[in-house]
This record gives sequence, structure tokens and C-alpha cells, in this order.
Amino acid sequence: MLFSQARKRNVVNTTTATRVARVDSFVVLPGPARVALLRLDKVQLDKASGAGTLLAWEDLQGFGPDAVTVATDVVIRPARDALEQRAEDNDLEIMGKQVLTERGRGLGPITDVDFDPETGAVISLITKTETIAGQRLIGLGSYAVVVSA
Amino acid sequence: MLLLRASELTGRPVVTLGGELLAEIKDIVFGRTGGRIAGFTLRNPGLFSRARKDSLPWSGVHSVGRDAVMVSDETVLIPAKELAPRKQARKADVLADRVLTDNGRDLGRVVDVVLHSGISLDVVGYEVQASEALGTAGRRVLIPLPDTVAVSGENLIVPSAATEFISEDLAGFGAAVGAFRSWLRRGSS
Repeated sequence: MLFSQARKRNVVNTTTATRVARVDSFVVLPGPARVALLRLDKVQLDKASGAGTLLAWEDLQGFGPDAVTVATDVVIRPARDALEQRAEDNDLEIMGKQVLTERGRGLGPITDVDFDPETGAVISLITKTETIAGQRLIGLGSYAVVVSA
Repeated sequence: MLLLRASELTGRPVVTLGGELLAEIKDIVFGRTGGRIAGFTLRNPGLFSRARKDSLPWSGVHSVGRDAVMVSDETVLIPAKELAPRKQARKADVLADRVLTDNGRDLGRVVDVVLHSGISLDVVGYEVQASEALGTAGRRVLIPLPDTVAVSGENLIVPSAATEFISEDLAGFGAAVGAFRSWLRRGSS
């Protein structure tokens, strides 16, 4: 499933059967490349969910074709460490970020990411000209996505 | 053989393998002997960027690429004064120096330095504004260097045979450097 297709998907609490948020973006981490967190759309958040906008992949009940499901609103939370704070501040947004190989060659900006909705594993990073296997991801910072040569 | 002009590296971003931008390359610092690069001085990124007090030693470079100089992380940076004392940096600056052959012909004025990027970053040639002696007077040409040349203001002497291996562009220069160095090795054995 592509990030471009999965974005804006509703997050539904299966206990209360209510929509509690909407997916705004995905936080990818390397080693192995995976979707570690979802950033949720603040405007769409239910008041009961508190101040946080992050939802860890392991706290999901499911990432279905029509909705993302959670068992409770409590799993929508604020950042717990410096890395998560950067994610919440959108510093680690992968879409549009330029790709560099470890040899210092630019491959263009990320236009989409293909991931497995069962596991969160990143299958491939997509630029205008290339499809890069997810396992080539080495690092993702505020400036660039770095992949093995 | 990845060849590049030293001037092309100025402004190139220094990026960690974690994807963070640390700085931009300000200048190259040449080693005192052996035609090697000691490292780079740095400046902050941006239009009105300031020079930084830290620098990047060659030992801290992961790779020099077309679009970025890659490093493992920020711990590889060292204080600039440890990389090259100011006096040494000035002495090793060859731009505008004259290139003389060992039989005393003035080949021209150095306008750039040609580097080979591999396991190390080596000086393999000078780009000179050619003198009358070359028949291409006024044009920029590339002169290959022996692999043991010292880059300093006192050592811009090249073997006279180097004039037989001159190129006008980087595309053919890699082969010219290889041919010149093989010729030198054959000559000395």
C-alpha cells in the first residue's frame, strides 16, 4: 500500500465505534525500514484523546483498506523521547525529502513509499526516476533520506 | 576514475549517514606531502554563511559524491586548528602559482586542482591557464602530476614529459594521468 493512498484514512476506536482521528503522515525509521509511528491530524482528534498526535504501529489493531483501527483512544499519545518529538514536529517527514546514496549521489526527492499494511515494513522508497528497495534505507534525518549505494 | 575539480567541492553539503546536514565545504586543506588531501574547512549552510571553528579531516569522510560529502556522524569533526595551522594552509595554497617543468619551461598559472576521489582523495593534476610554451596559450589545460608530488608553493615542478599528456577536459584526463604515471614508472625502472 502506498503512503499516498493510506493518508487521510480514518482512525476508528473499535470499542466505541467512533472515528477518533485521521492519519496525517507516516514516520519511517531505519534498521529495518518500517513505519514506526503514525502522525494524526490534530483537527480531527477527539477531545478525549488528549494532547498527543502520535500512534505507534504496535498499538494498532489493524491497518485495513478502509480504516485504521485501535482498541482504545489512550494509545494516541504525545512524544515520549527526543526522536518521537522530532517526529511529532514533522522534522522526520519522508515525503518530498531528497534521497542521497551513501556515496553522496542524489536520487531526487521521495514521491511515495510502498509499505506492507500487515507488518508496517517499508517495501520500497519511490522517487521520480527510481524505486529503491526498503532494505537499502540507512538513515532519515531532517535534511535527507540516506540509502546504501 | 572519478575526477573532480577542487573548486567544485566548495559549497557541497556535508551530510551524515543519518540524513542530517552538518555544514558546507568551505575550502580544501592539502596535506604537506604526497599529494593527498588533509581535509576540509567548513562553513554553515546558507547564503550569508559563516566559517566554522571545526573542520572535517579526510579520515572522517565516508565518501565524496557528486551531490554531497558523506560522513558517519558529527563526532568525526575536529577543531580547524588541528587540521592545519594557518601558516601551513597558506603555504599549501597553490592557486595562482606558476607550474615549471624540470627543464625550466613555464607552463602557466594554476587556476584549479584536479582530484581523484577513491579510497583517498588525491591530487592528480593542475588546471593551468596555459602559457606560450604550450601552444594553447590562454586556454585552460589539465596537466597530470606524478603520484608522489608534494602540493606546496615551493614544489610546482613537473617532469617535462607531463606536457605530452595534457588534456583539455576531465573526460580524457583520467586516462592521461594513468598513461603519464605508467610512463614515469617505466622510465625509472
